[in-house]
Amino acid sequence: MIDESREIKENHPLSDIDQVIHAPARLMILVLLYVVESLDYVFLKNQTGLSWGNLSTHLGKLENAGYIDIEKGYQGKKPQSKIKLTPQGREAFKNYKSNLQTVLDDLPD
Amino acid sequence: MSAQISLKDLEKNVFQKSFQDGLIDIQIGCVLVMFAVAPLLSPYLGDFWSSMIFLPFWGVIYLGVREIRKKIIQPRVGIVEFGKYRKTRQKKLNLVILVFNLLVLALGVASFFNFADLPGWVHPIRFSAVILVGFSLAGYMLEFPRLYFYGILISLAPLIGEFLYTTFHASHHGFPITFGITSLLIILFGLGTFLRLLKEHPVVSQEELE
Repeated sequence: MIDESREIKENHPLSDIDQVIHAPARLMILVLLYVVESLDYVFLKNQTGLSWGNLSTHLGKLENAGYIDIEKGYQGKKPQSKIKLTPQGREAFKNYKSNLQTVLDDLPD
Repeated sequence: MSAQISLKDLEKNVFQKSFQDGLIDIQIGCVLVMFAVAPLLSPYLGDFWSSMIFLPFWGVIYLGVREIRKKIIQPRVGIVEFGKYRKTRQKKLNLVILVFNLLVLALGVASFFNFADLPGWVHPIRFSAVILVGFSLAGYMLEFPRLYFYGILISLAPLIGEFLYTTFHASHHGFPITFGITSLLIILFGLGTFLRLLKEHPVVSQEELE
């Protein structure tokens, strides 16, 4: 597996950009989680259009980075998970937004 | 700045989608059925009981909608909890609804005491104004544009009814016709939205969730 954090050279202007967030699918997930309090797998799948496999992989990466919290539970016999952005994830997303904005603003027109 | 605006819009879109199951439309339509049917029952049951018998009907609809949302909609669409902004807005809406209901109650009591002295058009105009203001407030607070349209549609019903009554001598101030058509339109729209949602969002199997 490729280590995404090593894809960009250290002295590159984009090296400050958080590669865990930067992947389009994960960015989409974090953007949704940033604007709501919590949601479940079904809602997230419907909103992002990702397959179950992809969704699970990306959520796993975000969870490992400590950016999201997945509270697994059951409603009756059906599994029902509550996915939330952690305070660390919220901070990381804010930093990502401001870093990306800085990098893009530095570009000539 | 533009990023902030688009995130706000995204939150709004997600919130508005939570109304796209058609159930709120069906509920509104079912409430309106009372205004169409109660005048027809009035000669047999009296003004009070012809309206009161709709309370259990509304209760059944409310409980039915709650169960449908829980057992049919949520497994297909998923569950989302909104943040502080929505919760604060919801609290404000509850307060506004409370004040609005008290005003309507005061208006109702006032018209009870001077019912005979008022000319024919005063009641439908007042009724329309109350509906229009109520639905507009709810539409604004919930950021749910369809409620503005419903407000206009429903507020037209008593006015057109009065017109039918004065011009064509339609029975019961035209309420059974105008409210009947309005409620039917809203219920049909709600049913259409609900069926479309069922078609577009198949049930998620337990294996997929695990």
